[in-house]
Amino acid sequence: MITIGHYLVLASFLFVVGLIGALTRKSAIIVFLAIELMLNSVNLVFLALGRYFGQLDGAVFVFFIMAVSAAEAAIGVAITVAFIRRNKTTAIDAANLMKW
Amino acid sequence: MTFAVVFFAVAFLAFIGALTLVFHRHPVIAVLGMAAATVSIGVLYVMLHVPFLGLFQMIVYAGAVMVIALYVIMALGPEESGPQVGTVQTVLTYAASLLFLLQLYRVLIKSEIGPMPAVDEAFGSIQAFGGALVSRYAVPFELASLLLLGAMVGAVVLSRRQWQ
Repeated sequence: MITIGHYLVLASFLFVVGLIGALTRKSAIIVFLAIELMLNSVNLVFLALGRYFGQLDGAVFVFFIMAVSAAEAAIGVAITVAFIRRNKTTAIDAANLMKW
Repeated sequence: MTFAVVFFAVAFLAFIGALTLVFHRHPVIAVLGMAAATVSIGVLYVMLHVPFLGLFQMIVYAGAVMVIALYVIMALGPEESGPQVGTVQTVLTYAASLLFLLQLYRVLIKSEIGPMPAVDEAFGSIQAFGGALVSRYAVPFELASLLLLGAMVGAVVLSRRQWQ
């Protein structure tokens, strides 16, 4: 029997894997996709809890999060391309202009 | 029973895809792992009784975002690299992740976990969803359109500027 707990545990696993990817990878594109993975796992929690309580608000929130993450994808890819053109590498260590 | 089998198969596929994204050295295979994960999460949306959001998930993520990421990697040349930040940062990351998981499960164990209640057919239908979007969530809906317009303009501006 699949309970709400199965969905929450799966979403927590996906979130933590995305967190590890965002904090330990060097390639800017992989970091960007890892953050998208974290967004996806949060969406899964919204939908599972909305389904559990029988309310559609979770689905509406997921819809808005998708719109925001699509905007983020457009801007993020533009920034990544500009960054790679300027620094000739995808390693985010090259972004050290504001490093103290 | 069939539902449980499908759930565990899809959940396993999503988890393997996520691990591929984070730990595979080759960026193209990593992005393909992410595509597998997003498609599996879309199937989970369908199983949660919101099928059109599952379709959106597959179109937006597995379609648009993955294609853009693959395009950037192909256009700029794939560089192989695994997880390779400093040791201190890696240890701190894993410690923080473990603490976060433990904290989540402490909350989860204390709360009541029931099976999913039955919902009527109208739940998650596109009529109910559209009704919510144009009545209760009308203002956020318009703001989302402004956000997308701003993102589009911003992307064009960023890509037209000359970087030395």
